[in-house]
Amino acid sequence: MDENNPAASTEPPAGTPPATGTPPATTLPNLVKVQKTFSLPGIGFCLATASDKLLIYTGLSDFSIHRANLSAERIEPSTLGANGHTSYVMGLVRCGETLVSGSYDCSLIWWNANSGEIIRRVADAHGRWIRMLAVSPDETRIASVADDMQTKLWDAATGQCLATWGDYELKTPHGFPSMLYAAAFSADGKWLATGDRTGRVLVRDATNGQLAATIETPVMYTWDPTARRHSIGGIRSLAFSSDSSQLAVGGMGKVGNIDHLEGVSRIEVFNWQIGIRCFEIEDSKHKGLVEALQFSPDNAYLVAAGGDNSGFVSVWNMADGTLLTQDNAPMHVHDFELSTDGRSLIAVGHQQGSVIDLFGVPA
Amino acid sequence: MSRISLSGICIPAHHAVSRRAFLSDGAMRAASAVTVAGCFASDMGQIHALRSEEVAGELRRQDKRVILLWLAGGASQFETWDPKPGAKTGGPFRAIQTNATGVSISELLPELAQRMQHTAIIRSLNTKIADHGGGADLMETGRLKDPGILYPDLGAVVARELGRLESRVPDYVSLYTSTEGRRKGTSGFLGARYAPMFLSESMIPPNIARLETVSEIDHHDRAALRDAVGRRFAASRRSHTVDSQNSAYQRVNGLMASAELFDITQEPTEVQARYGPTQFGHQCLIARRLIEAGVPFVKVARAWWDSHGQNFETHQELCADLDHSMSVLLDDLEQRGLLKNTLVITLGEFGRTPQINSSLGRDHFASAWSCSLSGLGIRGGVAYGKTDPEGHTVVEGEASAADLFATILSALKIDHKHEYTVGARPVPLADFGSKPIAEVLS
Repeated sequence: MDENNPAASTEPPAGTPPATGTPPATTLPNLVKVQKTFSLPGIGFCLATASDKLLIYTGLSDFSIHRANLSAERIEPSTLGANGHTSYVMGLVRCGETLVSGSYDCSLIWWNANSGEIIRRVADAHGRWIRMLAVSPDETRIASVADDMQTKLWDAATGQCLATWGDYELKTPHGFPSMLYAAAFSADGKWLATGDRTGRVLVRDATNGQLAATIETPVMYTWDPTARRHSIGGIRSLAFSSDSSQLAVGGMGKVGNIDHLEGVSRIEVFNWQIGIRCFEIEDSKHKGLVEALQFSPDNAYLVAAGGDNSGFVSVWNMADGTLLTQDNAPMHVHDFELSTDGRSLIAVGHQQGSVIDLFGVPA
Repeated sequence: MSRISLSGICIPAHHAVSRRAFLSDGAMRAASAVTVAGCFASDMGQIHALRSEEVAGELRRQDKRVILLWLAGGASQFETWDPKPGAKTGGPFRAIQTNATGVSISELLPELAQRMQHTAIIRSLNTKIADHGGGADLMETGRLKDPGILYPDLGAVVARELGRLESRVPDYVSLYTSTEGRRKGTSGFLGARYAPMFLSESMIPPNIARLETVSEIDHHDRAALRDAVGRRFAASRRSHTVDSQNSAYQRVNGLMASAELFDITQEPTEVQARYGPTQFGHQCLIARRLIEAGVPFVKVARAWWDSHGQNFETHQELCADLDHSMSVLLDDLEQRGLLKNTLVITLGEFGRTPQINSSLGRDHFASAWSCSLSGLGIRGGVAYGKTDPEGHTVVEGEASAADLFATILSALKIDHKHEYTVGARPVPLADFGSKPIAEVLS
């Protein structure tokens, strides 16, 4: 029996994220605890999950997409399909039975999530490296962001490009190529937020492209004018609260020595529609980039993960911006997804994946 | 190898005057530093006086120049000259075909890819030392550091070999404005005469401006008076000492006048725009102005490539800067007819690891890395040497730092085996056992 075949799965073993949540015994996470880890044949940059959250897909630095069944006794990711991308796979979303991936090779590929067959390929989706994909909650539209500094909206079913927005500067204020890293849809699908290297967030109405807000987070971008004469940082993650009122922005604080990811991990949370920054969170314990963010289903807490040479998972109370719990992750985390009930997460990152419980101590 | 020894320093035989000619000069005989038995002088000024009369040879008449683009901190060979697309170690960037058949480089260098007819890549450097200080010592001088002797760096050797005594501009200018890894460069045993004019805080040399209390007219009048008196004096008293003093004054006046060379606003707006907005671009333009004015060696340091974290983003920024600035520089040199006499080098202290660490960085690596040589004396469109499919080791054409120096000197038609003598110790221009890479030489 193929342990990575979803049809082979039975009851999930302890520690795997439950498919449908019963209300948690305690409402706030109290302990980050790694339940299981598994090896990846490269760096896992992006993650998509099947609706039951037991089958996961990850885009890797070996240019492939791998699939793994978390309910298997021994998690052994296997390659999905063939002849796909020719560079790092940086964005991956699921739309029903279809996966869509985006890569540094500038292409988007539609895959049959079960068979691995390529359904469609848009070879020159962007003029430069694709950094991230986001899918609307109704799974009908896909947003892509790339270093051509364009945001594109795609029809998930047909692959038609619905809109192209190029509001960002191509260069940083210091004359170097800028980068457009992050994108996120709001839970109601109305808003699309994007974030660039210099710390600029644009929120637009995804239905008509009209800009709704511009948010500046300049601390996320460090320009070293003296010692090294280049920059580091940028907005690496974005997440809306489930009521769409709050927008969390993740990256890294100011960096002294930009040879390393030595800045503190940093999150800014905005009530973006009225232009108020609710929280400015700098993690004194964990350094590096906040690569992924997600609000809990009830918006009570915000989960952040990322890293430098190591990784971290931190959980922040959205009532007051204080830390609830945090710990090292087994690897630098590049992407994660919360379970439906928000009690655990599946993460992928440097050569590894992991299932991590956030409620390690019973209430 | 014949050579003439001088106390502390010695010059290659082909640059020397005969002992008879030397002794026939009364002024030189009177020089207090002159001794006998082969140790003829301890003062560099007297060596140059000797050279001024006798050895202004073919090398100098050819007006050869060098621009060293020093990629401080260590650029990644994977993201520049030796891409490995598809390899586990290769990173995300593609290789692109250049205009030289069979030669591909990283897609981060698209402009240089269209100018490969000027450039030879060496992909097989194995220099072993992977710490910044030791690596820079090695790659600046072409040999291992020796506690018993202070070696001159490439700039000083080239200044020594190609500089003109009568030149009114500096022989060696080094620009290093970033503070990280800043190194001044050294003329070592060649002495202060060949030390670089070092610019770090400003792109305009300090302390060469005319004093405000001296008007421009006064300044010129004073120089004219000194020249007139000096000429009358020298007419009846031919001597190297007088020549040397006159030369020194001319040189100081030349250096003062050379301030304009560092001022890129003297260039047409269109030329400034071509070089772009970055400091490195500005400094490449300064380098061209200096070369054009006759400075034989200019080093422009572009720091800092030490990408332990976020290697790919760092190279997206720095390669864009290198690609554009160097391409415009090559074009500009070619259009002005200077490229045929100018060697442009990209080099750093080492390359970067094949392994990609958890911060998406690459660390220090000196076992299999790359550099480039363009222009004078170089067979363009060549990629010499080979590393294994993942870039861990050199598998073909391994070259040492000394081999690279021998190659550079050979491109300049300087005999790399010629020797200086320091005390009783022969010191070849390129280290013992070095061999030029003939495949990259035209």
